[in-house]
Amino acid sequence: MRTSVPVKVLAQLSARNLWRHRRRNVMLLGAIVLAVAFVLLANSLLRGWQAQMLDTVVANLTGHVKVLAPGYRDDPSIQRGFELPAEYQPDLPGLDGWTSRVRVPGVILSERDTRGVQLVGIDPAQELQISFLADVLLEGEFLASPADRRVLIGAALAEQLETHIGRRIVLMTQGSDGRNREAGYRIAGIYRASSESLEKVFVFTGREVLQTLLDSEAVTELSVRLVDNGQRDQARELLQRQFAEQEASTWDELEPMAASMFRFVDTAMLIWFSIMMAALAFGLVNTLVTSVMERTRELGMLRAIGMQPGVLLLQVVMESLMIVFLGVLLGIGAGMLAVYALADGIDLSQWTAGIESYYMSSVLVPVLLPYDVLRVLVLSLLFGLLASAFPAWRAVRVEPLDAMRR
Amino acid sequence: MSEQDFVVQCRGLERTYHDDGVPVHALAGVDFDVEQGDFVSLAGPSGSGKSTLLNCIGGLDRATAGSVTVGGVDLASLSSSELAELRLRRVGFVFQSYNLIPVLSARENVEFIMQLQGIAAAERHRDAMAMLESLGIGELADRRPGELSGGQQQRVAVARAIVSKPVLLLADEPSANLDSHTTAELLQLLADINRQRGMTIITATHDPAVMAFARRRIGLQDGLIVSDQRDEAAG
Repeated sequence: MRTSVPVKVLAQLSARNLWRHRRRNVMLLGAIVLAVAFVLLANSLLRGWQAQMLDTVVANLTGHVKVLAPGYRDDPSIQRGFELPAEYQPDLPGLDGWTSRVRVPGVILSERDTRGVQLVGIDPAQELQISFLADVLLEGEFLASPADRRVLIGAALAEQLETHIGRRIVLMTQGSDGRNREAGYRIAGIYRASSESLEKVFVFTGREVLQTLLDSEAVTELSVRLVDNGQRDQARELLQRQFAEQEASTWDELEPMAASMFRFVDTAMLIWFSIMMAALAFGLVNTLVTSVMERTRELGMLRAIGMQPGVLLLQVVMESLMIVFLGVLLGIGAGMLAVYALADGIDLSQWTAGIESYYMSSVLVPVLLPYDVLRVLVLSLLFGLLASAFPAWRAVRVEPLDAMRR
Repeated sequence: MSEQDFVVQCRGLERTYHDDGVPVHALAGVDFDVEQGDFVSLAGPSGSGKSTLLNCIGGLDRATAGSVTVGGVDLASLSSSELAELRLRRVGFVFQSYNLIPVLSARENVEFIMQLQGIAAAERHRDAMAMLESLGIGELADRRPGELSGGQQQRVAVARAIVSKPVLLLADEPSANLDSHTTAELLQLLADINRQRGMTIITATHDPAVMAFARRRIGLQDGLIVSDQRDEAAG
């Protein structure tokens, strides 16, 4: 008859052995709790950055998916536009909002100065559903309709042009026939965005107004915002089918630098986790090896009275997993408390100028995903298991006779 | 007497160690049989081979040559895992230093073997308590080894060794850490177990008191049996 594995008694023995050296094990437990809490907090801050990055990229007129005419990205002119039927409505799963725009490079002139900008013709109601214009601080009035002949300019640009609300400016751009066109417009409002570069680049007017200036009925882009970033590939495929002659692209294809930063965050989380856990594993291995060496005689006796090597191995592994599991649970609790304490975000306004290029805003809000908590739990237990391999191997190598002679 | 009546049979048993490359013959060809229900003491000076012989019989050490049979099973044919199984189910051990598990109570120490054997909780609890009661230490069941005297710990060790009714009880210098009074109590206990339960006992000892309790006294010197006496009135 083969011996069954007495899990209950092994668990009891493991728990009591941990309690036997409680001072040492409490210190180890504290180290695990701190490491896991720091990892979780760091993860949530990185996730917060990632979420901000995505929000910023999507809101900065990119959307999750955008339809452009072939060649528009290299030559953004109205000649690279496409016709959009007036009754068009996208039918996409997880659609949060959409709009079509006319966006061409142009020049803005005030009485004082001239600047190169991006002229953007919008449908104001649709634009507010999907872009950063919904979050700006606006002085003056917003555009009323696609036929509104006034313009919105950024505060930084207004400062450069030394102009104000109600003043006239002139917009110049190349029309659909390749000739330069210009027209005068009155400033309806001045917006303050999260980034000065947005304020300096984008000048908004009604879509139909810009189409009239360009002498074209085309739009240059169709931008779509989704509820879930994970649905973007499916949305791209559907849009590509609907607009077979145009190019549908996801935000990560349109903004490769942001996409690589976005992916880097995932890698950074794993690197950070691995460094913390590797440091912790040394402590764990050291404690367990010490524990095994102290109990060599006892382990030899267990082998002598008939405990199978595999059962002995299980006992050492169980000791390791017990302390790691407890530490990870407490660490997750402590990490969640830390995230909760920082729920209003960390003010980074001192460094705002520098962090804009990293797609961050002035307040970094931690984001705790259940997936990240689960990953910390599972990977920590895996580390605990790996860390116990060497001590367990040493325990199994104990020869009963040699051990009991000590 | 037929072969089935012998619990232990040793034939040409040799065990050679290598000490810095120099061969040391701890057992140099031992032949002896132990009958069911016998009480045997292996005696001799240090280095005579008595502990080595006990360890070979208990499956803790392997013979270099010759054979050991326990309960009809040739130990040389068993893997180390099967030897562990044999030690768990058929052989009870009492060690010189008690070797109880310090984090378990007396009752839990006795139950431990039965837990490894997969015996149900109610049964092992009942058997462990009955065993401790029968050895006169029932009231100490919830104490841990650190809270017991040497004699009490050795009684717990005996209870652990015999609770699962092994065919053979091996005791290596069981009185080495005990005073004379406690030694006498322990020997009386072993003699009672031998007589009342019919359990075969083999001890390795220096102690004349232990030898006096055994019905059969085997003398060893330089790895060989030099005397084999029987005293039916002993114990």
